[in-house]
Amino acid sequence: MTETVLQTESLTKYYGSVLAVDHLDLAIPRGCICGFVGRNGAGKTTAIKLMLGLLRPTAGSSRLLGCDSAALTPAIRQRIGYVTEGHRLFRWMSIAELEKFQRSFFPKQWDDKFFADMIEYFDLPKKRKIKHLSNGERAQVSLALALAPNPELLIMDDPTLGLDAAIRRQFLEGMIELIMRQGRTVLFSSHILGDVERVSDRIVVIDKGVLRANCSLEEFRAAVKKVILSFADSAPDEVNIDGLLHCRRSEKGLELTLVGTDDEKIAEWAKSVRAERYNIIKMNLEDQFIEFTALPGRKKMFRWEER
Amino acid sequence: MRFLALLRKELRECLPWMLLAALVFLAFGGFFLRALAYDQRHYRYYPNFSSGTLVEHVQLTQHTPLLLTGSCLFCSSLGLGLILGVRHFWIPHFTRTWPFLLHRSVSRKTILAAKLTAGTIAFVISLGTVWVALYWYANQLEAYPIPQTVRVFIEGWIFIMLGLVVYLGTALSGLSTAKWYTTKILGLAFATVIIVTTFSQWSLVWAFAVIAISVVILLSLIFDTFLRREF
Repeated sequence: MTETVLQTESLTKYYGSVLAVDHLDLAIPRGCICGFVGRNGAGKTTAIKLMLGLLRPTAGSSRLLGCDSAALTPAIRQRIGYVTEGHRLFRWMSIAELEKFQRSFFPKQWDDKFFADMIEYFDLPKKRKIKHLSNGERAQVSLALALAPNPELLIMDDPTLGLDAAIRRQFLEGMIELIMRQGRTVLFSSHILGDVERVSDRIVVIDKGVLRANCSLEEFRAAVKKVILSFADSAPDEVNIDGLLHCRRSEKGLELTLVGTDDEKIAEWAKSVRAERYNIIKMNLEDQFIEFTALPGRKKMFRWEER
Repeated sequence: MRFLALLRKELRECLPWMLLAALVFLAFGGFFLRALAYDQRHYRYYPNFSSGTLVEHVQLTQHTPLLLTGSCLFCSSLGLGLILGVRHFWIPHFTRTWPFLLHRSVSRKTILAAKLTAGTIAFVISLGTVWVALYWYANQLEAYPIPQTVRVFIEGWIFIMLGLVVYLGTALSGLSTAKWYTTKILGLAFATVIIVTTFSQWSLVWAFAVIAISVVILLSLIFDTFLRREF
């Protein structure tokens, strides 16, 4: 049986009257690279902070490496790497000072050579102060600090936000370094679906605090699809097909977004509504994500000239 | 080792302000001490202190060349308390470094203890040492012919402890999640009340008792808030 390293049960968080995380039930098995995706304000950072015990849940609970998040012991924290949102580090420290500071909390695990190699790979001068580093360089330091203790579980909150493509690639390669170490688990939130597609084998989608998907990347890729149907006369008034997410109409056509509907069922349904033609369109992950999290009723384009 | 790493980090953050407070106190306190010691040595203001006069103990406390130096110490102490409280407990909110700091392989109690220990050490080193040095100088015969009372020395330490109370009050206000106009200012308001109450005590024992009680109250509130607070 696969061991679960991260588990949440009905995890709920309210900020005043605003619901940030809504009954989140999540289980992440050991050894997977999990992309945690959602739109801005979807509740990713709140969920991560709840998991790490930095916020207190309004209801529900979460467990990391078998320990309740609300009472994470120092020993458990030692096994978890955390890259904070925006790579907020102590600005007055130099990279060398920060290394010394971080090392003292991982006396047995800290890998001096690994840290030195990463800093060299990123071409960062150790004497430079954090306040003099660019966003990208700070992200690289942040990753090196999180990886050098060789954590069992690495949690990263939007680590590639604001980084250019080249730095992002370097960052992801650094992450792959960890992934190659056996049995390590990574959970990282991101807006950049390309990054998720590149390194993840599992995807968790959260929307308005609600868990929308938690499956392998292949399953997600196979599940969300777009079907375009054209009709000789007019499109049917009612669309009754399992897994329907969105439906757009034109005069003689329908554009459907479906989740979890297999191709045979689509063919059957197309036949039953007497569609002249139908095409199953292959979408990239970004399009799938946008369709998957798009709100009904927000289909109309914003038109500047109308204002 | 972990506590020491935290302590080093907190002390390093205090360092510029420690030095500034020590320099300000040394400059102004030293200047006033020199000026008053010189004036009193020439019996300009206190003719009763002329050679052969029997001097009352209370006069020694009130007519000391450390009088204005004490005021400087009080101001420096309050200023340092306010600045260190802001540095340790407010700035991390703005720089958003709390999550990085809190995800350590130590308990929150240890992190807080390191901050408070660093704050206390900062007071003792920056203001305490300068105060000891100035008191020692005032006791030199060539600086001032009449010895200083221990009470004056202890009063200086009371001023330093009041700065510590302000530091703790600022810390409590900084950690509070309430809005400004409600309980957020409780910590600072409490510190102000303690300063007024301490000044109204003639007995040093009572002054110490007031400070000790306030420190215990503030520490328990700070620990309670810090351990339960969301970051």
